[in-house]
Amino acid sequence: MIGWLLAAPALCVMAFGFLLPVGVLLRMSLNRTDEMGAMREAVSLDTYGRLLSDDLNLSMASDTLQLGLGCAAAAVALALPVTLSIRAAPPAWRGALALAAVAPLLVSGTARIIGWLAILGDSGLVNAVLSWAGLPAQRLINNWTGVQIGLTESLMPYAVLVLLAGLGRLDPRLDEAAATLGASRSRVFWRVTLPLAVPALLAAFVLCLVLGISAFITPRLMGGGRVFVVATEIYDLALQTVDWPAAAAMAMLLLGGLVVLGGVRAVMARR
Amino acid sequence: MAETHLALSGLTRRFGANPPAVDALTLEVPRGALLALLGPSGCGKTTSLRLIAGLERADAGSVRVAGRDVTDLAPEARNMGVVFQSYALFPHMSAAGNVGFGLETRRLSRAERAARVAEALAMVGLADFAQRKPRALSGGQQQRVALARALAIQPDLLLLDEPLSALDAQLRDGVREEIRALQRRLGTTAVFVTHDQAEALAMADLVAVMDRGKLEQCAPPEALFDAPATPFVAGFVGRSSRFEGQVEAPGRIRIAGRLFGATETPAPGPAQVFVRPHRITLAEAGDLPARVTNRVFEGATALLTLDTPIGPLLAEVAAADPFRPGDAGFATLPPTALRVFPL
Amino acid sequence: MSGAGPRRPGAVLHLLAGCGYLLLLAPAIVVAAVSFSSGPFLAFPPPGLSFRWYVALAGNQEIMGALATSALLALIVSLLALLLGVPAAYAIARLRFPGRTAIAGLLVAPLMLPALVLGLALLLALQPMKLVATWPGLVLAHCTLAVPFAVRIMTTAIAAVPEELEAAARTLGASPLRAALRVTLPLAAPGLFAAAALAFLVSFDETVVSLFLVGPRLTTLPVELFRYAETRTDPLIAALAMVLIAIALGVVLLVERAAGLTRTLSKD
Repeated sequence: MIGWLLAAPALCVMAFGFLLPVGVLLRMSLNRTDEMGAMREAVSLDTYGRLLSDDLNLSMASDTLQLGLGCAAAAVALALPVTLSIRAAPPAWRGALALAAVAPLLVSGTARIIGWLAILGDSGLVNAVLSWAGLPAQRLINNWTGVQIGLTESLMPYAVLVLLAGLGRLDPRLDEAAATLGASRSRVFWRVTLPLAVPALLAAFVLCLVLGISAFITPRLMGGGRVFVVATEIYDLALQTVDWPAAAAMAMLLLGGLVVLGGVRAVMARR
Repeated sequence: MAETHLALSGLTRRFGANPPAVDALTLEVPRGALLALLGPSGCGKTTSLRLIAGLERADAGSVRVAGRDVTDLAPEARNMGVVFQSYALFPHMSAAGNVGFGLETRRLSRAERAARVAEALAMVGLADFAQRKPRALSGGQQQRVALARALAIQPDLLLLDEPLSALDAQLRDGVREEIRALQRRLGTTAVFVTHDQAEALAMADLVAVMDRGKLEQCAPPEALFDAPATPFVAGFVGRSSRFEGQVEAPGRIRIAGRLFGATETPAPGPAQVFVRPHRITLAEAGDLPARVTNRVFEGATALLTLDTPIGPLLAEVAAADPFRPGDAGFATLPPTALRVFPL
Repeated sequence: MSGAGPRRPGAVLHLLAGCGYLLLLAPAIVVAAVSFSSGPFLAFPPPGLSFRWYVALAGNQEIMGALATSALLALIVSLLALLLGVPAAYAIARLRFPGRTAIAGLLVAPLMLPALVLGLALLLALQPMKLVATWPGLVLAHCTLAVPFAVRIMTTAIAAVPEELEAAARTLGASPLRAALRVTLPLAAPGLFAAAALAFLVSFDETVVSLFLVGPRLTTLPVELFRYAETRTDPLIAALAMVLIAIALGVVLLVERAAGLTRTLSKD
């Protein structure tokens, strides 16, 4: 009984800040928009139908998924050596290295992207190096490339966190045993370390995929308004076009996709 | 005979659908006495202590202290001092802070409180350690702070959970005597839990032997040792040899074909017999042929393992006794030495 | 090639890890450098060094106003997160009651949702109540995001304090409330620091949800930063980004001094 009383204030916040809004979102997605763009109260799936039958939407969704898959894979692939280096470091260094890998999370996403704009921009670091080497300048921002790079980097700290937790359970003596049996360092890695790390790698991948698919700031800023993903579309529908039923319906569809991914993750976790 | 200070009646605690952890525990402790709850792990002794303290809620039965029913009272209302097995000292407070914690809710002036704290610490010999934090104290010192903390509130009852088990072996006897002396001096009724029967027999006025939640016997140490009431107590307290046989008539029991006399026997039928090693005599002549197969030197005495027609028999003899492994002789089992129980 | 002793990772691993760290830390380093640029563009390397953009930042009324708003908002949110989260965390960590797991789940649920979806949902829900672009609306939204963190951290911190200590306090005459306040909470204090700091940062840096809930007269610093980055490309935003990074670092270091954050991370 006391438990409920103690948790009540926090639960109130959850009720008003989470449960109620999600309910309203669901309800709004069932409304319709008429030809003049005004919202009509209804309980119908028309808006869903409208969204799903639009080829542009479908290709945008497919682009979003591809972006998520690619960046998640790259983030995990890059996070693995970082995690392994943390684990292999002497204990005194481990905390500092882990903090360095995870610190980007504490820095606002926008701030990091400004850094990327300065690195990848026309007058940025990369192009400065290229022109110094006599190579042609590259368009690296305001397009998909910039988004891919920026998104991958923003996902890495999450991947490191998951990998640290997952690999932390691995027994380092297995590596030693393999070594005493004559395996070279690379053999140990490919035949012992990596296979045992697969569950953690998959978990990190799924997390990054979920985050990548729903990313907003990076595609918006790195894409310069020219890259369209599900998140930016929802934003525009809500605040630019002010087609709230459509925005809500698209958000519900995104949630649906993420629930499916969550189900996949739960199935994997059981194995 | 002092009046009853602590009375447990039908005290029961169940966890889920399992057999009760404490099953209808009923016993009485006189004022100023020290009761030991003794038994193997899992027998319910610690749960019983927690029920008395109010840290567990009883499913049935009652706890009465000086006639007052405390069964439904929360722990903070029972005025019982508890010394936990892990001491449970508050790490963020000094020894004095720990000892004074129980006095904070009472109407005492700051001076009175400080005086009581100093007195309690002096009682356990730690007056100079008042400002130390628990992590700066040795295990033995931590235990004394825990004891002082429990006594500072002048409790109606002192409860100790395995007080000696965390101590080094050479400290144990000394601490045992200290606790006993302190308890006697203060006249506080106390209950302590232990799995070590030597400790229980040495320290306690009254020993309650428990097995699988049930009370087997509650008696002073000598009665427990000389007149165990159940097979479990006979086998658990002190050493004994156990045999199975058949009671044929009152006072007569047949074991492995041989007839023995016993002063007390249950109704005729299958029975189990316990014999204490120190009651066996070994000589050139006697009832039972025996051959010594092992000898363990124990200082003033020696424990012999004898091979006899009824099975292995333990005998405790003087260390000067000449029998050695391989020697043959005769063992005598006096009728008063046989404790017989139905099987 | 490999000598005796504990296995040291090879050069390849170090190279790849180095690339990873570079990728992670490069943006922050570059932002720092560019913020001191003397030129008018987001160029790297900067043509010269100067404080001009920090000066410009200090003189920008809108941004300074947003900074004050964000700081005040974050302070309020971190206090509320503690006030709401600590009792709930205590209930989850210490008490056994029906529905405990469900409550724990609900208190973490907002983190499962993409910020964008939550932002939209809040806009739709608060608009009819006329709470968009108001302090209560923003506080509610930020608390919804911050309370889960506070609850998680405090639940772990409280659970780490042995229950026996509270039992000992009870036997010494302390009521359950007194035992919690005098024994458990002081011992869980590092968690309090971490929870407050994290709640502060979550609110201070919150961009996406706030984008839906700000208005002409009420805006937060991250939103201003985002809007600026969308339209302009001068180093002013780099200076602003540096201020945000500096504040975040400051809070982290503060918690590290008070509570040992890196120890918690490396234990993970």
